[in-house]
Amino acid sequence: MPSSRKLTVSRAMSEAIAQEMRADPQTFVMGEDVGAFEGVFDSTLGLLEEFGEERVRDTPISETGFIGAGVGAAMSGMRPIVELMFVDFIGVCMNAVYNLAAKNIYFSAGNCKVPMVLMTGTGGGYNDAAQHSQALHATFAHLPGLKVVAPSNAYDAKGLLTTAIRDDNPVVYMFHKGLQGLVWMASPAGAATEVPEESYTIPFGEARTVRSGRDVTIVAISMTVHGALAAAEELATEGIEAEVIDLRTLVPLDRDTVIESVKRTGHLVVADEDYRSYGLTSEVITSVVEAHPDYLKGPPQRVAMPDIPVPYSRPMEDAMLPNAERIASAARHTTGRG
Amino acid sequence: MSATKDDLLWMYAAMVKARYYEDTMATVYMEGKKPKFDIGAGLVPGEMHLAAGQEPCAAGVCVHLRNDDTVTAPHRPHHVAIAKGVDLNRMTAEIFGRVDGLGGGRGGHMHLFDPAVNFVCSGIIAEGAPPAVGAALGARMNGRDAIAVSYVGEGAPNQGGFHEALNLAGVWQLPVVFIIEDNSWGISVPKSKSTAVADNAIRAPGYAMPGVRIENNDVLTLYDAAADAVARARAGQGPTLIEVETYRYYGHFQGDPEIYRPKDEVKGLKAKDPIDRLYHYLMDNQITDSSDLEAIAQRCREEVDAAYAFARKSPEPAPEAALEHVFV
Amino acid sequence: MASGRIQVRVPKDLWDPSETEEGVIANWFCEDGAQVEQGATIAEVAVEKSTYDVIAPAAGSLTIAVPQDGVVQPGTVIAYIAMG
Repeated sequence: MPSSRKLTVSRAMSEAIAQEMRADPQTFVMGEDVGAFEGVFDSTLGLLEEFGEERVRDTPISETGFIGAGVGAAMSGMRPIVELMFVDFIGVCMNAVYNLAAKNIYFSAGNCKVPMVLMTGTGGGYNDAAQHSQALHATFAHLPGLKVVAPSNAYDAKGLLTTAIRDDNPVVYMFHKGLQGLVWMASPAGAATEVPEESYTIPFGEARTVRSGRDVTIVAISMTVHGALAAAEELATEGIEAEVIDLRTLVPLDRDTVIESVKRTGHLVVADEDYRSYGLTSEVITSVVEAHPDYLKGPPQRVAMPDIPVPYSRPMEDAMLPNAERIASAARHTTGRG
Repeated sequence: MSATKDDLLWMYAAMVKARYYEDTMATVYMEGKKPKFDIGAGLVPGEMHLAAGQEPCAAGVCVHLRNDDTVTAPHRPHHVAIAKGVDLNRMTAEIFGRVDGLGGGRGGHMHLFDPAVNFVCSGIIAEGAPPAVGAALGARMNGRDAIAVSYVGEGAPNQGGFHEALNLAGVWQLPVVFIIEDNSWGISVPKSKSTAVADNAIRAPGYAMPGVRIENNDVLTLYDAAADAVARARAGQGPTLIEVETYRYYGHFQGDPEIYRPKDEVKGLKAKDPIDRLYHYLMDNQITDSSDLEAIAQRCREEVDAAYAFARKSPEPAPEAALEHVFV
Repeated sequence: MASGRIQVRVPKDLWDPSETEEGVIANWFCEDGAQVEQGATIAEVAVEKSTYDVIAPAAGSLTIAVPQDGVVQPGTVIAYIAMG
């Protein structure tokens, strides 16, 4: 009987990178503290030891410099995996991502490729305040030319990262810090999962229905998948059966799975840790409404971080995050049961 | 001064070709934009940044480069593209926004990509420097002796990304040559008002690399300095910074009223034109004769004329082509 | 063929308990009752902010004795492997 092996998200990510680095000498990693420290969020475990300093490079604190260098290296034939330690730091290096990485394929009509992965830590819930707790999913998804990925669990984390590394387009791989399985930060029980030892890919643009239900569709991504599942368990005790969809990727976005589900349930809740206005939640709702305004039997609900900087103090932050309680409440509201 | 006859004639051709290209563009660009200058109207819409006068910066460096060396350039790129060997027909078609352009019309004059000669240009100031560092990194990691050259203007050394790129090249000792084309005007602001130092070369040791300043837009002294820098880089001895005092005859962009410029400045600059100076050098030192140089110039003009004709004939893209090539 | 039940312990010299009293099981990498391979990483022990991998000393069926978040010291038996 084969051994069943569970990995944390961080170990699954590190394994994906290691397997790709073994297979392809053009693949390398660079970023702050990715070497001896193995990544502040454990994204590069074991890599320096196996592959050495040339292929696992600690960089100075120069995001414009090394992310721009990542673009140049990618265009010259390498497959760089560049880490932006906290997604919140995108402010200092946005140009390299949205004007260079995102546009060089288009400018060159596909004659140039940009096979770069930008992996970056997102999310709050551990009191790191407004400059270190953002999700910013929509910031990247909104800008054309980037593929955007956000896994909710270890199995998906490895498959999606493998796909990202093999993609000749720039991919922003957004891992939630609270899902990594870090010893110093709590993570939900469902984040660590069985992970096959061999290499495998998960295609982009395919959402996964992680729980079937007939009464309400709850669309989630990254950390909110776990809140949605917890909400679904609570709702089930009240006779409300929720269907939970893990989007897995923002770009490309699997609108069809959502639309098909809402066709059956007639009710929609979208949960996202990013800010409420102008974001993923609006995008999903609009995608349903513009295609099939007749499917919805109740008002669609956005459950997101409000339009505020993420607060530091625990009672404030906990209340503002799109947690299970808020998701369940939104589901009750839209189904007219509370 | 160590240039061979072949190199001298190569540089002469590169400069003549670039000058003729830019002067032609100055006229062509205005087709359809008069009587009142409408930037979005006419044969070549959008912004246009011409480099007439700056030819030595391109010729004196690119003479030492190979196809597999990467060059990144900024928003004033034509002379560098020409010297790097970018396909002139497809470059011109791209500037005209036509189907046969390097990007099928998706990029235009500031965003020219020719992977066959590893040339890329892009419009955000200083942002070409980090990708050049990355190309050099890729070459080094693969054990190739290809190098990268980053062209920026004299405004770029005040932008954060420039410093990050130099530090990265310095700390990793990468094969990059940074060329600053100091034409002294950042649109309307002179270097003396924008930059804490008069000579950017003195910033170089702060990044563990040598710095050189070339005076007087001189292609021959640049040739020597670039030869050293390129050789150093190829030999694994790290990056170099070269600042070239140069000048642009036209405005920052075509349509620029140039109110900031002293009236006779351009006239004075044209009196010491770098192509004329090279011509006289070649003649005075009897390296070649005037009929040879005229034949070279004639060939260049024909090539440029053919490129413009190619561009005019190339069809406009279908509107829905805009949706293609977002991803490969 | 070896058979019987062996203990999986937190290595006795993993840390100095006079400096830090306790560690915790940060993660189990397999379910209770799973088949494990010799040499596989089966758990992660956290001592303050450092982590240590616990390796299965033999192949067999795993019974977890200390669950995730449970407190351990050097030498604590955290699981049993039924071999054969």
